[in-house]
Amino acid sequence: MSNVKEKLLKDLAESVVDMEEDDTIEIANDFIESGYDAYEGISNGLAAGMDEAGKLYEEEEYYIPELLMCSDAMYAGMDVLKPHLKYDETEEKYKAVVGVVEGDTHDIGKNLFKIMLETTGFEVYDLGRDVPPGEFINKAKELGAKLIGLSTLMTTTMDNMEIVVNLLKEEGMRDDVVVMVGGGPISQSFADKIGADGYAPEASRAARLAKDLVRGKMNVAV
Amino acid sequence: MSLFKDEMTPMERAVAFSKGEDVDRIQCNPNLSNGIARVLGCKISEFNHSARTLADAVIATHRRFGGDGAKVFTDLFIIAEAMGAKMKYPEDETVDLLEPAIKDISEISKLEPIDPYKDARLPIHIEAMKYVQDEIGEEVPCTALVVGPFTSAFFLIGVETMTKMMIKDPESVHRLCEISLENCIRFADATIKQGIGISIAEPMSSCTVVSPKHFREFSKPYLKRFVDFIKSKGSGTSIHICGKTDGIWEDVVDISVGALSIDNIASLKNCTETVGDRIKIMGNVDPSSIMYAGTKEDVRKATLQCVKDGYKSPKGYGIMSGCGLPVETPIENIDAMLDTAREIGWPITDEKLEELMSFNRYE
Repeated sequence: MSNVKEKLLKDLAESVVDMEEDDTIEIANDFIESGYDAYEGISNGLAAGMDEAGKLYEEEEYYIPELLMCSDAMYAGMDVLKPHLKYDETEEKYKAVVGVVEGDTHDIGKNLFKIMLETTGFEVYDLGRDVPPGEFINKAKELGAKLIGLSTLMTTTMDNMEIVVNLLKEEGMRDDVVVMVGGGPISQSFADKIGADGYAPEASRAARLAKDLVRGKMNVAV
Repeated sequence: MSLFKDEMTPMERAVAFSKGEDVDRIQCNPNLSNGIARVLGCKISEFNHSARTLADAVIATHRRFGGDGAKVFTDLFIIAEAMGAKMKYPEDETVDLLEPAIKDISEISKLEPIDPYKDARLPIHIEAMKYVQDEIGEEVPCTALVVGPFTSAFFLIGVETMTKMMIKDPESVHRLCEISLENCIRFADATIKQGIGISIAEPMSSCTVVSPKHFREFSKPYLKRFVDFIKSKGSGTSIHICGKTDGIWEDVVDISVGALSIDNIASLKNCTETVGDRIKIMGNVDPSSIMYAGTKEDVRKATLQCVKDGYKSPKGYGIMSGCGLPVETPIENIDAMLDTAREIGWPITDEKLEELMSFNRYE
């Protein structure tokens, strides 16, 4: 294990935590020029930093503005590292469709969930904000997605989550797709009531749960 | 339908409370949002152009539930819209922000002062307030919900842009909040002229969104000036802040607003113990898992628990949901909340609450 690599990974993570986007880009470039593996840079550098930022958020040290700046730094680092990824070396990727339900344009939670999903090994298609229920179904069908992630920050739009679940049933797709719901007003009991598969109060836990649920479903299918 | 009957009107109750006299029951405000359209039986989009329909929905909601406040409110964006933000108007869902008024702080000079009697949907709201105050103002305290200066500023430039500006360009956040405050005051002034009170909503001030440090720097000074203006007009006001708020309760007390309504995420017990000696507290039945998704008995038990946690608060306590109710919240759950307040009656004691907790009324 090279000390140089460990140092760069640590610096990469720290630059994300410290919201220093320019530093993140510079360190990511150093990392690639030194010949290290981009995937490791993402998972043990950038994502580790984002994980740390998430912990600081849970500890009420960081808040949404700080998290957004961290995620900007992380995305800037991703832009440097992504082109160097060797896909055959990564594990099999499951496809996921995420979006903010119709009637809501707040996408902070959805963006964090998306980042966390990507770092746990999902290939994520982002439908964006204010997404009509039918679009989740169409895109999941088109991609053969194993996961649909629905987000909202507003109590007024929660009902649209149930509509997506019901549409999946009508299309006969419900057993093939894991449905995760999240966002400020969402709770475990709401998830249970509308028949969603999973909920977690914060993005990194939600992403880990998503992976477990999809793996569980795949194993049952086999 | 209601199981119990009130003996006082909400106005009689409010007056008696303020004098420290006996009342028939504790105050209870279920806090409907656009669910008022379901009570009246109209489409939510009718509120976009008919003051009469909006007023009728507010009045029908008052008559249906007998809650301790009648509130003219449709969505968080009416001020931002009047300043140039673009909206999405679904036929039967809540209006939402489509595009902020400006995309970049360099365009700040494009933001023009509002005319509450002319711009966008503001005149509809003002007219609805007049109908509501004229027709039920003697029976129930009526308010308009006005979004505070900090939160409105987010909708002027966009939530993400404003959020990052707090770290990258704090000076511009202040410039934007100053403009936002001026327009909140213009709208509040017109509102007070209709004879009704003001409920402030400041969702973005939540500790779930920004740190107490950022709240103190960017929101509190403008909120204080907003509240000072409202009080200078002889009007009372309350504030609702969503999400976590424990880090800023003392600050809300500093602002000297009449009442604080807290989210179900915050601890009611903790809140009444910390600042209840200086401010009236309202809250905080879970609008999602209890009011929307729960049974009538769930509502009853959660309401009893809130009363247990709150009723001894020295400056007063009122039952409320922790945030605006989802549109499709079952009507019978809202009845159950009010009926629980009636069932408890007056005076309230620990023994009475224990007794009521020990059995189910609905199932």
